[in-house]
Amino acid sequence: MAKAIRMKLLPPLALTLLLLGLFVFVPMLSAFEYSIRTPATGGYGWTHYHWAISEEDFFHYIFRSTWLSGVTVLITLLILVPTLVWIHLSDSKIRGIIDGLSLLPLVIPVVAFAVGAQISFPEFVQNTVLELPFLYFVLALPYAYRSLDIGLNSIPLKTLSEAARSAGANWLRTIISVIIPVIRGSVMATIALTFALSLGEYTLTVLLHWDTFPTWVTYVAQDNILGAIAISMMSLIIPFIILTAVTLVIPERNMQGRK
Amino acid sequence: MTSQVMEEGAPLRRRAFLASFTKNFLPAVPFVLIFGFFFLFPIARLIYVSFLSNDNNFTLSNFRTAIQEPYRTGFINSIKIGVFSAAIAAFPGALAAYFIETRGNSKLRRTIAVMSGVLANTGGVPLAFMFYAALGIQGQLTKILKYLGWDLYSGTFSLGSFVGLLIVYSYFQLPLMIIVFSPAIVSLRREWSEAARNLGANQFNYWIRIGIPLLFPSFMACSLLLFASGFSAYATANALTVGNLPLTPLQIGGLLDGNVSAAQLNLGKALGVVMIVISACAVIPYLAIQRRSAKWQKR
Repeated sequence: MAKAIRMKLLPPLALTLLLLGLFVFVPMLSAFEYSIRTPATGGYGWTHYHWAISEEDFFHYIFRSTWLSGVTVLITLLILVPTLVWIHLSDSKIRGIIDGLSLLPLVIPVVAFAVGAQISFPEFVQNTVLELPFLYFVLALPYAYRSLDIGLNSIPLKTLSEAARSAGANWLRTIISVIIPVIRGSVMATIALTFALSLGEYTLTVLLHWDTFPTWVTYVAQDNILGAIAISMMSLIIPFIILTAVTLVIPERNMQGRK
Repeated sequence: MTSQVMEEGAPLRRRAFLASFTKNFLPAVPFVLIFGFFFLFPIARLIYVSFLSNDNNFTLSNFRTAIQEPYRTGFINSIKIGVFSAAIAAFPGALAAYFIETRGNSKLRRTIAVMSGVLANTGGVPLAFMFYAALGIQGQLTKILKYLGWDLYSGTFSLGSFVGLLIVYSYFQLPLMIIVFSPAIVSLRREWSEAARNLGANQFNYWIRIGIPLLFPSFMACSLLLFASGFSAYATANALTVGNLPLTPLQIGGLLDGNVSAAQLNLGKALGVVMIVISACAVIPYLAIQRRSAKWQKR
């Protein structure tokens, strides 16, 4: 009986996975094959990867993109967690407004946003690369906000915070040592999402004339297309493997928002 | 007597107002300030400046130019690529989401979710180079297809052409569909299908009467989001086209960089505003439908 059910359930899923796998991995493997070709000798080798890693700029831009993304994550958590906790606890009348605002960046194409940013900010903002994390925060907001919102919806927030408060914790302590640990699944998802989005952001960065890892790759491509392909393969495959591994390792009960 | 009460009432009221302000609005201030300065202000200024002429007088001429050639073709191409890439990815994506959500175990579902997230979000430039390597003239995939009897490059095909971009776009549109459509599938309750079966419905009846009517609004909503995503994509198109395919995001980028000069300084802003309007026509219905379906999707 169980076997019969399994036989009936599996083929469509297997077929779906097979097709998806072909769709995703055939171009990827084909590009990988291309990236390890060595035209000089006609064989295969890691030449282009070696070249990329030995470029001084490679680590310079990886470092820069990483710390910019780190700052974005920090800004996102510092602003969103307290705001959302307060919104959930107070039943304020402006909850609807803030919910709506948080979705607005979805409506605006990034190109249009970049034009607006370029003509609006005063010099001292435009002259520092620190404007980027704030703009990345805006781009990630619809996703980050929703992810934290789902997390806070799924816990008895009022009870928890009242308990912490009556045990003598102030608000800061309540948020840091009670609320964040309880919604750590959502917090982790928010961090991963914001970090990934900031790390890969290209449009806004290039239109505001900043250099980060993704824009450096297009710059490299002008001289060494094979090197650029090798770098692109690394920047697609490495997050793929790390994130998949992390998902499979984190125990399921920590993942909120999915049933 | 009355005047005395009035006099005492004022400071009291002010204190009450302060208390209510502290309670109801104050904690939102950091968020509103940052969001206002870094998002609302630039967008408002963009809209304002798009109505200014070169000597800062009110004018509609930027918009008049924005809907003429070559910008008209840009909009038509961008809308077309949004519609086609959404149409290609929506149904396969929905079907894949359905089978993965209903038949996959939780590990598989989470892995797919993460992989879709990586493909849909970090795509852009790396994706363009990946396809350049795979489907370029020398690419292995091109050779495989040729071996199978389909010579991509026998005609006018290039990755920077409309069809080429469509192929590359589907690579991030399909995962995006899986991400945004999965919640709708999850909310289809098993009880409904069982109830329908108990009442004598077969698989076909269930889908016609219950499944499709329930999923259709979400499906359309997600397709609209895909349209907006394809319509405004910049990075991939910028890396693959060499000025041969006019698309509005690229035209705006050209004007912003000063690569293209225009008699009207604020033309790029007007193009941006038109893009916002078109994108809003797709995203706002998406959000509205999502909100409506969220009501019955809550368990």
